[in-house]
Amino acid sequence: MSGYAIEAVGLRRTYRSRTGWLRPQRREVEAVRGVDLTVGNGELFGLLGPNGAGKTTTIKLLNTLLIPTAGTARVCGHDVVTQTREVRRRIGYVFGGDRGLYDRLSARDNLRYFAELYGVPAREQKRRIAELLDLVRLTGREQERVEGYSRGMRQRLHIARGLLHRPRVLFLDEPSIGVDPVAARELRRTVADLAATGTTVLLTTHYMAEADELCDRIAVIANGTIQALGTPAELRHHADGRQVLEVEAYGVADAQLAAIHALPGVREASVTVTGATQVLTVQSDAGVDVQAAVLRELDGVRLGRVTARQPTLEDAYVAIVNRINAPTRPLEAVGG
Amino acid sequence: MALFRLIGTGGVIAYRALFNWTTPSMFIGSLLVGPIFQLLFFAYLGRQLGVADDRFYIVGNAVLAASLSCVFGGTMAVANERRFGTLGHVLLSPRSRTAVFLGRVLPYAGNGLLIAASTLTVGALLLGLRVPVRALPGLLLALAVAALACGFFGLTLGALGLRFRDVWVVSNVSVALLLLLTGVNVPAAGLPGWMRAVGEALPITHAARGARQLAAGEGLAAAAPALAAEAAVGLGYALLAAALLKIFEAESRRRASLDAL
Ligand SMILES: Nc1ncnc2c1ncn2[C@@H]1O[C@H](COP(=O)(O)OP(=O)(O)O)[C@@H](O)[C@H]1O
Ligand SMILES: [Mg+2]
Repeated sequence: MSGYAIEAVGLRRTYRSRTGWLRPQRREVEAVRGVDLTVGNGELFGLLGPNGAGKTTTIKLLNTLLIPTAGTARVCGHDVVTQTREVRRRIGYVFGGDRGLYDRLSARDNLRYFAELYGVPAREQKRRIAELLDLVRLTGREQERVEGYSRGMRQRLHIARGLLHRPRVLFLDEPSIGVDPVAARELRRTVADLAATGTTVLLTTHYMAEADELCDRIAVIANGTIQALGTPAELRHHADGRQVLEVEAYGVADAQLAAIHALPGVREASVTVTGATQVLTVQSDAGVDVQAAVLRELDGVRLGRVTARQPTLEDAYVAIVNRINAPTRPLEAVGG
Repeated sequence: MALFRLIGTGGVIAYRALFNWTTPSMFIGSLLVGPIFQLLFFAYLGRQLGVADDRFYIVGNAVLAASLSCVFGGTMAVANERRFGTLGHVLLSPRSRTAVFLGRVLPYAGNGLLIAASTLTVGALLLGLRVPVRALPGLLLALAVAALACGFFGLTLGALGLRFRDVWVVSNVSVALLLLLTGVNVPAAGLPGWMRAVGEALPITHAARGARQLAAGEGLAAAAPALAAEAAVGLGYALLAAALLKIFEAESRRRASLDAL
């Protein structure tokens, strides 16, 4: 038996769905297309990728809720297809969002029920529940019905539920989605504390900063495959040899963005909107000064501040994710 | 011991979590008062048409009253998991599915028994039906067997909820079918052969027959075959429900049919 908490080899999952009734149409989505992963005991591992990348599907393959179309996976040495009971005893699963709790019950009764389901011995239940309510700071509110809970409180209760049976491996699927910044920071602290006490954590997120702050290693996933894997410092190297130009603008058209993307030396170009302002971010090869050419393309657009800067981890992430538009390359482990 | 806790304590918590009619007004309105009016409706209709006597309708409708909370309860036990998005968390339990879901049936069956007993009492008082006192334990047994059989029937419907989204249709239709096919309000002799055959495989049918024998003072020995048949029907649904739950859960892992996560 190996010493890994999680091992996945060539994991694939295709969804087949039928829509329509009179004239049914078959649709196939290859959500996960060959994922290889190993996560060590006690490691805090991040699965980072845009919406629809296949993060949730990967987690559901690992936590026994879905059967892989191909490939194998083991959690604590147990096969996720054939040894479900062994796997389930050792894992906790938390996902973001409002749902997944019994609204009519109090927090305590929610935990009591799942303590039964997850096999917490009767004489330990009371103490364990009190301990967890304390950990997620719901003590004092535990008798209230969950339907009155805020999003952040629900999220903390989700975490308490996931920890009831002291799982060795915890799957956290976008735990901070829709949670306010303060709550998100507390949540990150809780996760870090867990990892510090030896729990293996597999965390998915589409927030770069969250992964950067928490994770020992990060796999960037897009289109169902892992595009890059390494420590945050290693991933930063994906933007090596590039520089970044940021332009504040008001009214950049799609055609202009496409033209900028096509400029010689330009690697990435994207626009984000904050309020009335657009921010155009252009990544280019470090040796090429694209500023003049970019501004020429933006002729007629009202512009604000123009800044040139060094690439960040965020830029590296954008570079990695956008690479899938280019011809596929084999998995690269970037040396540090 | 741990298994009994899962069935008992777990079942009661799940009942509170998933049953829609636990508030006093809903409970009294939908489950206690509704069946009594239904009983009166059929009893008076029966008097008008001269099809059968009061005892036929009072006892029959009282037994049928046990089915409502069970059929809908069993459906809610699975369909409401979808609504709350909790089904995935339940399925991640390493413990026996049979125990988890068996535990959910017992409160519904207990509920059904309570409703049936109250309907019988109130119906008999309102319409002046005299039931021999020594028949009461037997009647209680008949109602209990009927309630349990209905509970497992409901769970079978609930299991369909793992596979089909619109399972409420099935429970609504089932309630209508029970009314028609169990011989509670339409004497079985008046039904076409195939309807009678379906009725034999439904809960309530045999228990209602047995309960009528008991109420007529025939004694437990006379009613025993009918009650045994009801118990067998109940057991059949219990096995069917357990099998369906297993099959549909396995299928959900293959086909991602529980995507409401
Ligand atoms: N149950 C399902 N049936 C069909 N397609 C699905 C299902 N679940 C997810 N998908 C598709 O699979 C892809 C990956 O989804 P998902 O794993 O949820 O991504 P992520 O969690 O990274 O946002 C998406 O294109 C999504 O639309
Ligand atoms: Mg997701």
